[in-house]
Amino acid sequence: MLVLRRRAGEAIAIGGDIEVEVIEISRTRVKLGVRAPRAISVSRRETIPVAAENRQASEFIGGRGRECMEEILHMLKKFSSGEV
Amino acid sequence: MTASPDITAGAGDVAAFRAGGAPVAAGGVIRSPWLGDVEFGPQSELFFPCGLPGFEDERRMLPVEIPAQAPLVYLQSLTNAGICFLALPVFVVDSGFRLSLSEDERSMLQFPEDRDPAIGADVLCLALLLPSGDSVRVNLNAPVVINLHNSRGVQCVSTGKPAGCFRLEENGRWERAC
Repeated sequence: MLVLRRRAGEAIAIGGDIEVEVIEISRTRVKLGVRAPRAISVSRRETIPVAAENRQASEFIGGRGRECMEEILHMLKKFSSGEV
Repeated sequence: MTASPDITAGAGDVAAFRAGGAPVAAGGVIRSPWLGDVEFGPQSELFFPCGLPGFEDERRMLPVEIPAQAPLVYLQSLTNAGICFLALPVFVVDSGFRLSLSEDERSMLQFPEDRDPAIGADVLCLALLLPSGDSVRVNLNAPVVINLHNSRGVQCVSTGKPAGCFRLEENGRWERAC
């Protein structure tokens, strides 16, 4: 891993069209600004598994979600109605 | 299905469309493959400044509630009719759920830093439904949070104490899955 030391206001360049600037440094955090082409997705690393889940969630309604809607509602109502 | 919307946003309520209500003067109609033609007013739109992870361009969403399917809530994209999520309020899954917002998430919601938002009064907190074998599961570590005061939304990806994943069991209970 390449390690660089930067101060607030300084930046690094990645390739010809991506820039990461250190905007602010506080005691426990650093605020970064990223300039990149729109086609490049920039996100916090912890959102990557959530993105995969979201794709599953969006496909659910067009697939099994539609088929088993009644069943899901039945299961949801079972507990709230005190059947169990 | 053609829904004539009648928004019922308020404390603790989902900004919702109910079939049979009065048509809204301004806004538009979204032709959803899942919900049919849904007419909506500008006050009903949710704005996600960063979209959702994996759907960064989906910034305009419409929450739709069908009374017969309560407590389910549809989150229908207004830019891409084919994109729709099914969700439900986090308290349906875990009544002890505690919301934790990062500085960035607060800023995107434009929520003041001096106090924590109250679920129901200040924010609506939804969990997206995911398939899980014959049932469904939710990831409460990544709730969709909507500021009820300004209709801005964000999917919060918790880096604090994990709230967990839950699976809906046949008996109607939500069991912790992770």
